[in-house]
Amino acid sequence: MTKTPITNKIRRLRFDHGEMTQQQLAERIGVTRQTVNAIELGKYSPSLEVAFRIAHAFGVGLDDVFTHADAAKGEEGA
Amino acid sequence: MSFREKTAWVTLIAILIVSAMFFLHGADIFQPDPGSWELHMLGLSVAAFILIEVIAYVVLYVRNPKDARTPRDEREQLIDLKATRLAARVYVIGSFIALAALPIHGASGFAVGFGVLMAFVIAELVNYSARILYYRRGF
Repeated sequence: MTKTPITNKIRRLRFDHGEMTQQQLAERIGVTRQTVNAIELGKYSPSLEVAFRIAHAFGVGLDDVFTHADAAKGEEGA
Repeated sequence: MSFREKTAWVTLIAILIVSAMFFLHGADIFQPDPGSWELHMLGLSVAAFILIEVIAYVVLYVRNPKDARTPRDEREQLIDLKATRLAARVYVIGSFIALAALPIHGASGFAVGFGVLMAFVIAELVNYSARILYYRRGF
């Protein structure tokens, strides 16, 4: 299976927000638990709308949740 | 396993069982004049498929009504679209073979019709197999 070039910190953010479960996050953003799991593992890239809902659920910006592999390499090179 | 994945498994297994029963017993469909037995078998197969689906869906719904009532999210919709697109291609190719190749070899109209039906069954097997694969892989 191929992983997406976008990494995320959802698992960490869930832990930092009262050890939120995948099911709880799924209910807050309107997707299934399996979709949250697929996003966390990098198997599925959510739509912009769902990405914003995830960031809003944690009260952080989009960049604090998701990172593109190219962007991450650019920062390392800078 | 989500409700949608479970129902995909149910449908795949139902198609396999019913089509195996039909095509094993309907081996004479490619004869010039298939009898009413084959048509009765077709009707029974469709009825059996519907019965299996209804019973399985009811059981799955009762076991987890919340999951069953949850609408498909974007990932599940995309999985459906990808699997359906793949199945459509299989159906078009299979139907073309049935419509173009079978008459060349002297097959009757019934046989061509059953060839198209077989293409549909194979396409649906591909459809639900693909769905299960995408669900298992995550996408």
